[in-house]
Amino acid sequence: MNKYYTLSRHDWEKSLANLINQFVIYAPVYYGEQQDYELIGESDIPHIVYNRPKPATPLKTFFLPVEENVMSTKAPPKQRIIMGVPSCDLAAANIQDEMYLNRDFADPVYKRNRDASILVGTDCHTIEEHCHCTTYGIKPYPEFNHDLTLSLMDETIYLYTHSEKGNSLIQAMEKFTHFHEPTENEIQALLDKRKEVEELLNHNNQGLPDYRKTGELVQHSGREIWKKYSQTCVSCGACATICPTCTCFLLMERPGFEKVRHLDACQYPGFEKVAAGEDPLRPLHKRFYNRYMCKYVWKPQKFDSIACTGCGRCIEACIGSINKNELFLELANT
Amino acid sequence: MNNHNIYKPIKAKVLEVIEESPTIKTFVLKPENHFTFHTGQFVELVVDGVGEAPFTPSSSPLVKDRIDITVMRTGYLTQRLHQLKGGETVGIRGPYGRGYPLEKLYDREVLVLGGGCGFAPLRSLLYNLQAEQERIKKVTFCYGSKNPRECIYEPYIEELRSIPKFEVMRTVDEADESWTEEVGVATVLLDKIDVHIDDSVAVVVGPPIMMKFSVQKLLEMGYPETSIYLSMEKNMSCGLGKCGHCMMGEYFVCKDGPVFRYDEIKDKPDIWK
Repeated sequence: MNKYYTLSRHDWEKSLANLINQFVIYAPVYYGEQQDYELIGESDIPHIVYNRPKPATPLKTFFLPVEENVMSTKAPPKQRIIMGVPSCDLAAANIQDEMYLNRDFADPVYKRNRDASILVGTDCHTIEEHCHCTTYGIKPYPEFNHDLTLSLMDETIYLYTHSEKGNSLIQAMEKFTHFHEPTENEIQALLDKRKEVEELLNHNNQGLPDYRKTGELVQHSGREIWKKYSQTCVSCGACATICPTCTCFLLMERPGFEKVRHLDACQYPGFEKVAAGEDPLRPLHKRFYNRYMCKYVWKPQKFDSIACTGCGRCIEACIGSINKNELFLELANT
Repeated sequence: MNNHNIYKPIKAKVLEVIEESPTIKTFVLKPENHFTFHTGQFVELVVDGVGEAPFTPSSSPLVKDRIDITVMRTGYLTQRLHQLKGGETVGIRGPYGRGYPLEKLYDREVLVLGGGCGFAPLRSLLYNLQAEQERIKKVTFCYGSKNPRECIYEPYIEELRSIPKFEVMRTVDEADESWTEEVGVATVLLDKIDVHIDDSVAVVVGPPIMMKFSVQKLLEMGYPETSIYLSMEKNMSCGLGKCGHCMMGEYFVCKDGPVFRYDEIKDKPDIWK
C-alpha cells in the first residue's frame, strides 16, 4: 500500500548508517559544480544532496554500464539502493525496459542489474538551466519506475512508498528507527513545491515544441540546419554517453567465448560501417541528424515510450556548445 | 522469463573448409547443440577472442546436422576466418531475423537474382525451393559475378540446370576466353528472362549497388513493389534489435529484416549504402 512516512534528517542519517551493512548504497554527492552518484560510506552520509535535479551520470549506467561482461548473469550478493534518482531518469527506464526486457530477447544482464536495484526517486526542488522535462510530458517529480520517493523539507525527510520493494525497505528501517505520519499541511507543502517547480519549468521553456511536434519538425526539416548545427560537433559522443535513453552498444569478444558489451554512440565515425565499406553515416551532418531522427521520429514509431526526457544533459556535455533546444526553436520559427 | 543468455553462442566444429573462389570460402560447421534456422535468417559467427559477424547460412535449412556458412574475405574477422583449416571450434548465435517469405513464393514463378557473394544466402533459398519444387511454378535464377573465377558453387549450378523447373542464367562483368555465358552486370540478364511478371515474385541479394539497379529494372519491367524482396546488409552487432548499429529508419534490420519487401523500406534513408 502506498503511504507517507516521515522522520527527522538526523534519524534518517542514523538509519542510513545501519542500512549500509545490509545494502550497497549509491546517492548523489555535490562537488561544487555538479553532483554525481557515489558509493556511500558512513562518512559520506552528511554530504548526500537532496532534491537537486539530475546527477551528472544518468541512471542508465547502473543498468547498462559503459563496459560489462554479458556472459555472467550471477546476481550480486547485496541489493543496491540508488538514491536521488530524478524523474527524467526514471522516465528513461521505460524505453530501456521496452528494449531490453522485451519478450523476443530479454537481456538477462540488464534484468539482473534492474532487479538488484531499489530506486529511490527524488522530487526536484530546483531546476537547472537546461531542464525541460515538462516540455516532453514528464513531471519534475517521480511518477513511476521507482520504489520510494524521498524529499527533504525543513530538515524533515518525507518518504512515500510506490512498490513492494519500497515497503520492504521501510520495514527494514523500522527495525532501528521510528517513522511518523506527516500532517496534511506538510503534505500540502510538498505538493505546493511540486507545483511551483513544474510552473517554473513551463515558464522557462515557453515556445519550445513538445515531443510530438519536435518529431514533425525534425522529420520535415531540410539538410542545411543539420549542417549548420553540426559544424562544431567533434564526434566525441558525449551527448550519447550522458543521455539517459541512448543505449546503443557494441559487442566485443574476449578469449574463452566471453563477450563484453561496450556502450557505443551513433556520433562516432564508422558506427554503421559494414565490412565491404558502405557507411551510410559517414558524413558528420548525417550522423548528427541521425541522432535526432532516432530520438524524435524512429523510436516513437517503434516503441511506446519517449526517447528524450528533456534532462538537457546533452546540451551541458557538448564541447561544441551545440544546444538542441536552440535548433528546435529555429526549426519551429522558420 | 527463462534464464537463457541471449548473448551466449553455441560451439560448432569446423568440419571442412571449401575454397569457392580466390576470395570466398565455405565453412561447414557441426553445431554441438541442436540448431535450426529458416532460410534467409542469419547467425552471428564467433571467432573466439577475435570477434563475431553476421552471415546468412548457405546450406539447406532442411539439413539439420550441419550448417554451411560462405564468407567473402573483406575485413579483419573474415581474414581470420579464412585462415581456418578445419578442426577448429567456432561459435554461432542465432538464428536471427526474418528470412525469405516462402509462403509468398508458393504457386508463383520465382525470380531469384543474386550478385557476387549474395549467392550464399540464395543457395539456402534455392535448396529449400528445390526440396519443395512441387509447390513452385518455376524458378529463374540469375547470377552475376565479377569474373569467371569469382563465380561460386559451380557444381550446384550444374545440379540446378538439371532440374526442369529451374532455369539458370549467369553473367560476369569481365569475361575470359573460357566463359560462354552472358557478359555484363547482373541486370542484363533481366532482359533475357521469360517470366509472367503478374504471377512472379522476385528475390534479390547482392552488393547494394547491384540491388539498387536490379530493383530499378524490376520496377521498370512491371514488378509491383510488393513483389520484390531484398535481403539487406547492415552492420548487425547484436542480432537482437538492441545495439542500434543496423537501424534503417525505425527498423532494426537484424530483427525486422534482414529480408524486407521493397515497399517496406523504399522510403528509409540510405538503403543502398
